[in-house]
Amino acid sequence: MTRSQRRKFQKTITYIVLIFLSIIITFPFLWLVLTAFKTYPDIYAYPLKYFIFSPTLEHFEKIGNMNFWGYFKNSIIVGTGTMLFSILFGIFPAYAFARYNFRGKGFLLSSVMLFQMFPMVVFLVPIFKLLNNIGLLNTYMGLIFSYLPFTTPISIMFMRTFFIKVPKALEEAAKIDGCNFWQAFNKVILPVTLPGIASVGIYAFLFSWSELLYSMSMLTSKAKQTIPTFLSLFVGQYQTRWGPLFAGSILATLPPLIVFMFLQKFFISGLVSGSVKE
Amino acid sequence: MGGEVLHPLFPLYFYPAKGVERILIKLTRDEKVAYKMILPYAVLIVTLVIFLLITNVINSFKSPSDGAFTFQNYINCFTDPVVGRAMWNTVIWVLGSVVGQLSLGLLVALLLNQSTKGQIIFRSLILILPWATLDIVAGVMWKWMYNDMYGVLNDLLMKMHLISDYIPWLATENMAMLAVIIANIWKGFCLSGMFFLAGLQTIPTQLYEAAEIDGAGVFRRFWNITIPQLKPVIMTTLMLTTIWTINYFPLIYIMTGGGPGYGTETVVTYIYKLGFKFLDFNKSAALSNILFVIIFLIAFAFLKSISKEEVR
Repeated sequence: MTRSQRRKFQKTITYIVLIFLSIIITFPFLWLVLTAFKTYPDIYAYPLKYFIFSPTLEHFEKIGNMNFWGYFKNSIIVGTGTMLFSILFGIFPAYAFARYNFRGKGFLLSSVMLFQMFPMVVFLVPIFKLLNNIGLLNTYMGLIFSYLPFTTPISIMFMRTFFIKVPKALEEAAKIDGCNFWQAFNKVILPVTLPGIASVGIYAFLFSWSELLYSMSMLTSKAKQTIPTFLSLFVGQYQTRWGPLFAGSILATLPPLIVFMFLQKFFISGLVSGSVKE
Repeated sequence: MGGEVLHPLFPLYFYPAKGVERILIKLTRDEKVAYKMILPYAVLIVTLVIFLLITNVINSFKSPSDGAFTFQNYINCFTDPVVGRAMWNTVIWVLGSVVGQLSLGLLVALLLNQSTKGQIIFRSLILILPWATLDIVAGVMWKWMYNDMYGVLNDLLMKMHLISDYIPWLATENMAMLAVIIANIWKGFCLSGMFFLAGLQTIPTQLYEAAEIDGAGVFRRFWNITIPQLKPVIMTTLMLTTIWTINYFPLIYIMTGGGPGYGTETVVTYIYKLGFKFLDFNKSAALSNILFVIIFLIAFAFLKSISKEEVR
């Protein structure tokens, strides 16, 4: 075999394996989507019905009647709050870590790294009691507050890498033109790093979007609960209502899926920046 | 360091008095700006975390009945057979998940790195889809696939003649553990895949070309170029995946709730149960602290070996 033939052979193998893997990995989700459109007799059909069944929207209607969009709204409120506060508390430390040398930098940076290693469950009881004491239990603000120790460090790491990539000369040029720090920050640095900051925000949003443990513990009243808690109610010890559960699952997964697919470049570069040195 | 000449009195810099003086007096302009920027984070987040840690430590030494100082909570943890079981389960859960996620992640990254056409589509289907799926959705999705009567997994395996009888996946302890590990590999391998893909893209192609001219085959190139070049990324990914898997809670909670029996009870699910089901806050705090020390030791060991690697 010549070199180019060998190359071609390798390419073919690569694509065959990739297609095979794609099928295996997408299958579970595909099966969930198929199940959500089946009537209950079709869901519990034996032998299993793969593609021939009578599609129905009854489960989507059912969860619509169970106030799914109310939980959706709650998830959006908590997600937006988490997003805004994670950026607010993260952006300036990230900038300081990227630009300045100062004593204690090593310690503070390692605190950022270390906080990502804390198991959420370890802080569950103390945060619950703290929120209870300061009257923030069962409030959106309390839940957002309890997410911040976990989302802010990640947002600092993300934004730091985006700030490092901005050439210092750009900022100095603005200062020579008579801009003060804030003007330089607003007019030069922010526009350049906006995609990065936006992706950090979305990351924090989606963190809270899928978070189950804290949201089901801190939000005790039904009117305030978020989508993951709502979905967990369908899982019973003896019986699970698969139809509405999967209909809700699809609606809950679509927003993050679409966002991640369109912005994958930013997410991946931000996410791997901590561990892969370029 | 280039061009900088050490002062003959250099050792004096390390005298404590001199050090304190330097910290007190000389805050550079940069430092003033930087500290102001970090203040909100340090005050709110760092203080909150330290407060929570201290709360846990205090609670773990409090007697549940009268609030007096006691070691009983820790003694209870060490003598509780469920804790031992949960520790052992956690080891298996982490070992299986991490090996699976890293191997699958590496395979996918190698393939994606080779592909030119359609990389975005493959990346979306293979790496993004499981990542974007909510934890609870992944949990219920796999739970349904594992259903012993109507689960698609048993049906497919039967059709492929790989099994002769339906497997009650979540009903026996060992199978349940295997089942949650498989689900976790599906949910979590994407992160390793992304790390490895980014790492592969930094390896200079000249290395491969030179090796190919020297007549090295695909596997030789993999062992002698890819693996050594990727080693720092592999180590970091291994550390992060290990710690995240120890901490990962929702999948087991949704799929088995720690059961059957204590078959899939890990340390984090047990901490949750102690705190929120049995309302034994003090024992839960003690177990939290034990877990925290373990995680800290693991991270420390990894970071030490990573920095050793870098010096070499």
